[in-house]
Amino acid sequence: MDEFLQKLYDTFIYDNRYMYLIDGLKTTLLITLFAVMLGMVIGFLVATVRATHDKTGKLKVLNFIAKIYLTVIRGTPVMVQLLIIYYVIFASVRIDKTFVGILAFGINSGAYVAEIVRSGIMSIDPGQFEAGASLGLNYRKTMIFIIMPQAFKNILPALANECIVLLKETSVAGYIALQDLTKGGDIIRSVTYEAFLPLIAVALIYLILVVGLSSLVGKLERRLKKSDRG
Amino acid sequence: MIEVKGLKKNFGKLEILKGIDTTIEKGEKVVVIGPSGSGKSTFLRCLNMLEKPTEGSIIFEGVDLTKAPEKQLYKIREKMGMVFQHFHLFPHLTIRKNLTLAPVKLGITTNDEANAKAEELLKKVGLSDKADSYPNMLSGGQKQRIAIARGLMMNPDVMLFDEPTSALDPEMVGEVLNLMKKLATEGMTMVVVTHEMGFAREVASRVMFIDDGVIAEENAPESFFGAPKNPRLKAFLSKVL
Repeated sequence: MDEFLQKLYDTFIYDNRYMYLIDGLKTTLLITLFAVMLGMVIGFLVATVRATHDKTGKLKVLNFIAKIYLTVIRGTPVMVQLLIIYYVIFASVRIDKTFVGILAFGINSGAYVAEIVRSGIMSIDPGQFEAGASLGLNYRKTMIFIIMPQAFKNILPALANECIVLLKETSVAGYIALQDLTKGGDIIRSVTYEAFLPLIAVALIYLILVVGLSSLVGKLERRLKKSDRG
Repeated sequence: MIEVKGLKKNFGKLEILKGIDTTIEKGEKVVVIGPSGSGKSTFLRCLNMLEKPTEGSIIFEGVDLTKAPEKQLYKIREKMGMVFQHFHLFPHLTIRKNLTLAPVKLGITTNDEANAKAEELLKKVGLSDKADSYPNMLSGGQKQRIAIARGLMMNPDVMLFDEPTSALDPEMVGEVLNLMKKLATEGMTMVVVTHEMGFAREVASRVMFIDDGVIAEENAPESFFGAPKNPRLKAFLSKVL
């Protein structure tokens, strides 16, 4: 028992090593938060382009670009994308790594958000578009006031899940020497030569975050269902 | 008011409308009947360009809709109310908002004016107490009456009805037809695709039988139902009457 307490002390308390985890968690949350926002913006724009093309046949060029974006981003691992953005695209520029992380994970998440949003738009009865058109509302107004509010409600749970996935995906940020939560645990491991405690601690923190977020999503879903009932 | 010339519509290789010519005058109540798949709904949907005709022209108040630019088309649709078989109310909005959304967002009226008009129309369709309900809380008949009120909000010159009672439980058909009769007596120009022969007989100024993509026969209701000439119409009427 004493041995275990000693290990616990060495791992977290001695030399304020727990700060690696605290600072890492901050970085992880920061990257996740801004990457989610960037992903949402990109996702909604790309989905709007794709859905508009599917519904009206317009925006051919933009749709083509959007398709390439979706194919490339969804067809390659996020870690490779992160490395390319840091070591290739920003190779000759000194740039804040956190910013690179936000950019990489945001661009990556945007592709998945785009497909979620598009499926949400496509799930709305075409009759809703027709009802809008028959009242003289053009495509844009119909989209903004009639389709998007309904689509958004349908996809909220899926979007929330995407946030959870993104939170976990940021754990590869250490590959560009970003000190996120995972990297923080790994640093402790490398100075104490003790793998079990820091890595389990890291896993536990992720787990608590994900379980917490999931229960929020669950609450959200139940709330949305309630307003569906007549 | 609406002039249809040589209207044809194909879906891929399938020819739905094979050349329709007719004129609908102001104040007329044209009831369109025909077997399912005959093209009657497609015909109606071509009138406000929800379906783009393959050939021919639709001239509404002097404008050829098939050649009108998109912007003008939306302007014109404000003047052509449409009621759908499945209502297509906006489920995320209250009944009041369902009515006021289009006139307000199109900048035709202020919010207050729209609310006042909505109040008035809800009274007319007998659903004043439902202003703050959501569409899902209403019965089918109530939904369709709201859909009609929503169309009337735009002060349309013509109302198009696409099988307005086909999705309703039998006991709710009457309330919707009564409202449509009320509109008719007020002088609204109406084009109604329906299977309600009683309504056609009572309200129509002209009944149109569309069969296999053409107008096979059209006439005032007395002669249309009393002395049908077209053999397909005779067969159709003997099945539905």
